[in-house]
Amino acid sequence: MIRQNGHNGRRGHNGNGNGSRYYGERPMSEVTKESLRTAPTDDPLAGLDYDTSALALTDICRSIADVVRVGAGHPRRVRVTLGAASVEVEWDEQQQTAATAREPATLDRIEDTVQGHHECAPLVGTYYVAPSPGAPPFVRPGDRVEVGQQLGIIEAMKLMNPLEATRAGRVVEVLVADGTPVEYGQPLVLVDPEEPAGGAGED
Amino acid sequence: MPFDTILVANRGEIALRVIRTCKEMGIRTVAVHSTADKDGAHVRAADAAVQIGPGAPRKSYLSAPAVIEAALSTGAQAVHPGYGFLSEDPDFAEICADNGLVFIGPRPEVLSRLGDKAVARELMTDAGLPVLPGSPGTVDSAAEAADLAARIGFPLIIKAAAGGGGRGMTVVRQPSELLPAYRQTRATAQAVFGDNRVYLERFCDSARHIEVQVLADGHGAVLHLGERDCSVQRRHQKLIEESPGPGLHKELTAAMARAAVRGARAVGYTGAGTFEFLVHDEGFSFMEMNCRIQVEHPVTEAVFGVDLVREQIQVAAGEELRFTQDDLQPRGAAVECRVNAEDPARDFAPSPGTLEQFVPPGGPFVRVDTHGYAGWRVPSHYDSLLAKVITWAPDRDRALDRMDRALAEFRISGPGVHTTIPLLRDVLADPAFRDGKHDTSFLDTRR
Repeated sequence: MIRQNGHNGRRGHNGNGNGSRYYGERPMSEVTKESLRTAPTDDPLAGLDYDTSALALTDICRSIADVVRVGAGHPRRVRVTLGAASVEVEWDEQQQTAATAREPATLDRIEDTVQGHHECAPLVGTYYVAPSPGAPPFVRPGDRVEVGQQLGIIEAMKLMNPLEATRAGRVVEVLVADGTPVEYGQPLVLVDPEEPAGGAGED
Repeated sequence: MPFDTILVANRGEIALRVIRTCKEMGIRTVAVHSTADKDGAHVRAADAAVQIGPGAPRKSYLSAPAVIEAALSTGAQAVHPGYGFLSEDPDFAEICADNGLVFIGPRPEVLSRLGDKAVARELMTDAGLPVLPGSPGTVDSAAEAADLAARIGFPLIIKAAAGGGGRGMTVVRQPSELLPAYRQTRATAQAVFGDNRVYLERFCDSARHIEVQVLADGHGAVLHLGERDCSVQRRHQKLIEESPGPGLHKELTAAMARAAVRGARAVGYTGAGTFEFLVHDEGFSFMEMNCRIQVEHPVTEAVFGVDLVREQIQVAAGEELRFTQDDLQPRGAAVECRVNAEDPARDFAPSPGTLEQFVPPGGPFVRVDTHGYAGWRVPSHYDSLLAKVITWAPDRDRALDRMDRALAEFRISGPGVHTTIPLLRDVLADPAFRDGKHDTSFLDTRR
């Protein structure tokens, strides 16, 4: 999206150092600046802008997963509060063993879902999700894409430039609407990448 | 209101300076920026901003398609190119027109002819402006160079036809140096400007660089706004500029101003432009024309009380100039110092880094045009200009004293950050400069 009024509307995406991990292409300097601004207060969360509730929730879930992993035994109940958001998790006595065993995979899935992989605009132009008006879109959420597969079109100076997938995976979301002006580096498609070599597979 | 939205196709202090005038005129502004400049002051100042590419200028500020797309998507009707980057690119001016955008500058064909320094030299000769002895056009063989050099005499200077900004020039003092210098300059010109054509001109060792500001509308008015002396240069890069030029006879400056107006009229120039002249023992000679706003334009604004960027915008909108030559009366003296992020200990290499402390000077009749602020990281991709300090006073001595006071006040520090402030203050204290007896060789021969 073309930002109206410069810096407004950018801050929300960079809650804190962790937040930047989800927006890999958002440069670190901005995060550092935010951290500096909040440095004088004792409260590490003061000034953090958690208006993007999904991010706050993700942070909380990760914190819970960390607590569960670090603790000697499995806790029965964990509650984490961050700003206005708070999550409480309670485990069944019987399911505790299973929950512990599944935990790393759960964490991975959270990270993959939110962090994912952003396919970004390689140039300034107008983004189109379909090859022509009225045609079905190149990709929909849930579609599996291969490296090099066309995801969309960026029209610049009357030239149609294909946007191609740089990683294989499953499309989570197409982030901009058809016909939207986009700027250089703007995330356009969120892809849940496939594990490079099986990794800590769920199966 | 001539335009409701203008895109500023530049960065740094000049982008900010253009945005400020637009705001005063009630015009909405769009900034463009590279990834390296996303925290740039111009981005913060504009009403909207579009990231147009990565840090390398070629892929962002020099990318015509990216700039045009940004303008079209934000509803801009006009593009102000500032200086450098796309400001004198006739192709860009033409692409703007093709896309229904007003390029704030002269027409593409005028840019094209004056951008070729060899052609500009011929055009101005035809218009009756004095030029130094030199080659009639470009010199395309070593044999031709040798033949012409014998007639022009030494020292001479080999210049790239597509050159500018003080680059692509070699001074030749003896016949034996000619051919290596000729080949070297062509190679440099090819590498830097993508055009290896060069021309020859007599070189003056003790000359002064005096330029005349002109302003022309599309309705027949061609006015001048006096001269600027830009003789304090380091390797053809200006460091200190002032208006009026110290110690110049009124008849001389009047003749130069008339020549500039005649030249601008001859080529159908519109907007703000600058005629660069060399003043030497035998008078003055036309060097080249700059078809854009210049870095040092604030000294002229200070003595004439005219906002040159506002005039550029109004002329581009097709309006007539609202003053006549008689209305333009200079007052007092103004001087500008360029504060660059450069390290004098490392041969003035650019010294990018984070500005931990950045406190510009203030006080009466001090203007600071800068995009710097505390906490900003100076990117390494762009030129090293950090700030321009401009002072005005009723006379030159007091303007220089005021400048020294302002520079002493300027606090800039950060890890690895060095500036030209100590050098500038040295020059301000130099008796030769104080007396106005300096020429373009002053800095390079001084130590």
